[in-house]
Amino acid sequence: MPDIYTSDWYEAVKEAINTAVAKLSDVPQDEFTIAVEIVGDGTTPYVAEGDVRRFLIRLEAGQCAWYRELDEDDPSVKLNYRFTGPGTAFDSIAAGLADPIDAALSGTIKVRGDMRFLMRQAEMVQVLLEAYSQGVDTVWPKGCPPYDGVN
Amino acid sequence: MVLKDTYDAIIIGAGHNGLTLGAYLARSGLEVLVLERRHEEGGGLCSEEVTQAGFVHNIHANYHTFVDMAPPVGDLDVRGHGIEYVRPEVQMASIFDDGTALTIHTDMDKTLASMARFSEKDAATFERLYGEAHGFIDLLLGTLMYQPPLNVKDLTKALGTFGVEDRSEFLSVKLRRETINQFLDRHFENDRIKAHLAFHGAVCSYTNDVMGLAIGYPLLIGKIDNWHLCVGGSHRLAHALWRDLAQHGGVMWSDAEVTNILVDGGRAVGVRTADGIELQARKLVASTVSVEQTFLEFIDPKEIPEEFAHKVKTEVVHKDWSLFSVHLAMRTFPEYIAAEFDPDVNRAWVVNLGIESTGQLDADWKTIRAGGLVDPRPNAAVNSLYDPVDAPPGCTTGLLRQFAPFALADGGEGAWDEMGRWYGQKCIDTWRRYAPNLTDDEIIDWSVFTPHDIARKLPNMVRGDWMMGEISLANMLDQRPLPELGEYRTPVEGLYMAGSTQHPHGFITFGPGYNALQVIADDLGIEKWWQQI
Repeated sequence: MPDIYTSDWYEAVKEAINTAVAKLSDVPQDEFTIAVEIVGDGTTPYVAEGDVRRFLIRLEAGQCAWYRELDEDDPSVKLNYRFTGPGTAFDSIAAGLADPIDAALSGTIKVRGDMRFLMRQAEMVQVLLEAYSQGVDTVWPKGCPPYDGVN
Repeated sequence: MVLKDTYDAIIIGAGHNGLTLGAYLARSGLEVLVLERRHEEGGGLCSEEVTQAGFVHNIHANYHTFVDMAPPVGDLDVRGHGIEYVRPEVQMASIFDDGTALTIHTDMDKTLASMARFSEKDAATFERLYGEAHGFIDLLLGTLMYQPPLNVKDLTKALGTFGVEDRSEFLSVKLRRETINQFLDRHFENDRIKAHLAFHGAVCSYTNDVMGLAIGYPLLIGKIDNWHLCVGGSHRLAHALWRDLAQHGGVMWSDAEVTNILVDGGRAVGVRTADGIELQARKLVASTVSVEQTFLEFIDPKEIPEEFAHKVKTEVVHKDWSLFSVHLAMRTFPEYIAAEFDPDVNRAWVVNLGIESTGQLDADWKTIRAGGLVDPRPNAAVNSLYDPVDAPPGCTTGLLRQFAPFALADGGEGAWDEMGRWYGQKCIDTWRRYAPNLTDDEIIDWSVFTPHDIARKLPNMVRGDWMMGEISLANMLDQRPLPELGEYRTPVEGLYMAGSTQHPHGFITFGPGYNALQVIADDLGIEKWWQQI
């Protein structure tokens, strides 16, 4: 079982996503580049308060083709979507303790980009989110939300 | 100004949507010409001294509710062009016949305290509704306002797949089978709170008794405290957009009435003006005026399918009520009797006078739809409370607005010319009942702007339709104004619809122009520099 936010964990998430999407019958063939910004909120121990962990994820035909962590925002990358939110929210989703749709609906995680595709491909989006939030057994070396002890 | 013979893009109508589209295209490197029939840019953004010199009245658009929500405000640096917006701290009020009042503030705690004086339960419900609506407003705006429209079926299916119904106390696909009245009855108990919230819908053109409009109502609540005033008059927004267009090489030509859209080989290639001048368009023509003008007046009938022309004639739906306005030049601010109950009513930008229940509003709609005039229950806006330059020192402007029919049952729309002053006086008398200090001595001058005047001054607002198309479930998203036009493209290649006839709707949203831009950019391969994700 991989530690959260390590290479092994990213690989496990990638595998979970690709396996889940492969089971879908009607996957759009589009290609997307997505930025995820996890903002240190003073509560999560995985991102220092005020810092931002930035990731780029490339989806091609529903499959995660690659991902990478960035030191800073790269304006030269043409993004299709950007997800931004407090670290606690992302941690809670990865731990299966919070629902990503709730986080988006409540505005906790801000979503930017063409919402029409997300709505039209709601089934695939749902599968992607479930794979992210429930597809990996994660180890939390600095504690799992609500961070009241190491799991 | 020297006009060229040919431009990349010719846009018909210099309202805020036409100017917005033009400015983006000019910033994208296209040669843009915007043609305007009137003597100035702005369309509904017209501010004029219709009472006395020095009193600036917003003849049409007064409330700007999408400021800082609409992408063009930032993309086009609207504020950088010298415009100033104020968000009045007391946004709106309802005053009731017993001297009580309900106030909506930018400080939500104050709004909740005001509501709690009528019903603590409703105040708690409103807090949850506002909180939920405010949370998802970014998503709703991004999904439903500032994108070319989704299909209703796609939207409904997505809401189901994401399980929104189970996650939300207020959002549901069932809302498309509810009126705003039914939504309010399900969630609220106090008649006056419901009346105020229904009024807020109506003043945004979401008529409270129309089936299906509950689907859009949570979005309205999410921006209930985002009403902005354009200091110095709404026209300044038009001027700011024109400046942006001009600074990027675009041209706005006023007093230039388009009479024909030139079509060659099924493609729009230019326009002809009333002066007989022909102007060529290399890449596109965009119309921001009415569907009827565009397809029944400007285009040779043989250039469009007969069936489509028939649909334009018979299936484009307009609002079944309009607005009657009284513009006043005054020496004082209104001092409401209800200030004894809630002093903040004297600082409320917009005051809804005497609507006690949704049933009362419903009865008014029935009368108005039959062409009748109701006992006035106008809303009163005093811009001078928050605008230091719209009136001479020590004086104020006032705007009374009353829901009214376009055509009167007795005499049609032409009868307004006889009835206008009489009805205007009745509206003033009503205001005076709630604010007795507004005596004749305090009112320097006043003038009326009737539903018929709307159609005469702004002929794109057919039959005084200030939304340029009914707000109804059947006329929303990709069905607005007709399925053939819902994606901003038209049966004529290279001709686009980019005005308030299109999704999302009228009001100062910038949405139709911005969304048409996305489609045009896709078709022409324009780099979408404005989409900074």
